[in-house]
Amino acid sequence: MIQRGPIVCALAAAMSLWLFARLPTTAAQPASTARVSVAPLETESEAAPRPWRRYPDWPKRDSTGFSTLAVLVSPAPPSAPRRITASILGDAATGQRLVADRTRGGSCLACHVMGSAGGTDLPGNVGPDLSEIGRLGRDDEWLFNYVYDARVYHPDTIMPPWGTHGIFTEGEINDIVAFLKTLKAPAIFKQSLDDPQRRPPPAERRDNLDPLVNPGMWVVDRAQELWKLVGPRGAACATCHSEPQKSFAAWAASMPKWEPRLAKVLGVEEFVTRHARMTTGHDWLMESAENTALAVYLRYLANGSPIQVDIESGDAKQAYERGANLNARKLGQLNFSCLDCHSPDRGALKWIRGQWLGEQKGQLDHYPTWRTSQQSIWDIRRRFQWCQVAVWADELPPDANEYGDLELYLTAKNAGLKLNVPGIRH
Amino acid sequence: MADKPRVKVAGQAHKGDIVQIKTLVSHVMETGLRKDENGQIIPRRIINRFTCEFNGRLVFSCDLGTGIAANPYLQFSARVEESGTFRFNWIDDDGVTITAEESISVS
Repeated sequence: MIQRGPIVCALAAAMSLWLFARLPTTAAQPASTARVSVAPLETESEAAPRPWRRYPDWPKRDSTGFSTLAVLVSPAPPSAPRRITASILGDAATGQRLVADRTRGGSCLACHVMGSAGGTDLPGNVGPDLSEIGRLGRDDEWLFNYVYDARVYHPDTIMPPWGTHGIFTEGEINDIVAFLKTLKAPAIFKQSLDDPQRRPPPAERRDNLDPLVNPGMWVVDRAQELWKLVGPRGAACATCHSEPQKSFAAWAASMPKWEPRLAKVLGVEEFVTRHARMTTGHDWLMESAENTALAVYLRYLANGSPIQVDIESGDAKQAYERGANLNARKLGQLNFSCLDCHSPDRGALKWIRGQWLGEQKGQLDHYPTWRTSQQSIWDIRRRFQWCQVAVWADELPPDANEYGDLELYLTAKNAGLKLNVPGIRH
Repeated sequence: MADKPRVKVAGQAHKGDIVQIKTLVSHVMETGLRKDENGQIIPRRIINRFTCEFNGRLVFSCDLGTGIAANPYLQFSARVEESGTFRFNWIDDDGVTITAEESISVS
């Protein structure tokens, strides 16, 4: 099945009529769905637990008071730079310690080289090299305001507003300013790998579909067992989809898509939850092992198919536009948008500490992906959740409408790339 | 359901050949050093020993420690003089043994 768009809908419609005819008579079918011409979906309840509770091994942090993809509540920037007339008398030694303090948003060194005094252990290069900031003639007022809230000089900066967002106190920023004024010579690196300008970008060369290489391939095996597992309604996936290799050879490459019955964008994962509830009776909530396994398998079946999602029809177009806005929304106490880290004209293709920030194109083709650093497989929604926790924002439940809009937008940015699932990444 | 171990052995070889054997097993390899969210130590559970027999005779074995990552990958080689079956055994702290078999035809 290589056709897409309306043809797929027509085929899906024909298939679902056919599969209703084949459902065992013991499977309870609400009468109202008997004439529905699209895949049955449960539409009454949530597809993930409420209230959403963060995964137990993730950082516990109170991020209330800062914007998420659902609410805009972060404090506003100051309207003008703070006037500072007297010389700032901070403690440079304390400042030197603070710029390397990794409990404060990853430390200044995550983004800046700060001379040999700042530390040369894998600094990043998202922001400019500050090794000689002390001899550039910047006055104390400028330095203080730039650390406190750089938006007073550059409204579009990606630098976190350390003062306005309460990560550093004014006294601590004075100490940091005192340290910055001591920086007058280029950093000396022990080896070229320490220098972010000379550190080679990572390349992923592992064969992700080799079961001896990618532990994520076990998930494909598990999914094939689940496919045959009869649920409370007396049916299994295989009851209607007896030849998934044929019937799902391209489907996952057309997801996510706008679903009018739910008035939201559905990804593969949420589709699995809602479709299984109506057909087999399995309650495979999003982020359950079963749900992730099937989401991997359905994409695995479509491996090699180019990603092509509908962003043209009215509602889908609006969802896409909402996704574009969410992609640019400043989130969390660290005040980063998706674009700040993953757009090449901002932080992407640079180093944040020892981690390479990738572009948005090239991410959606290999999710769900085995994460060697986590020893588990992550779907794209969990990846979204993690990004938010990493910028010190509260994540949303995986079935949140906002994630649907964002996934649609990002998937459209990956259009044409061929699915290659499960991936394997650090 | 338990994940089936992955084993790769050449299906055919000549008498006296040294064949490469690759194995990957699904296991948490819990070190016994981590704590859960309530501060309680998560008990150690690792594969502490691996053996490989060919037609009942031991051809390779090793002891594994807590420094070995989850899903241990082991690669080794063996000389084959006859057709037969490799049997692989991964033994963990709970006494559970995961096994796999792979045959080779030697001409």
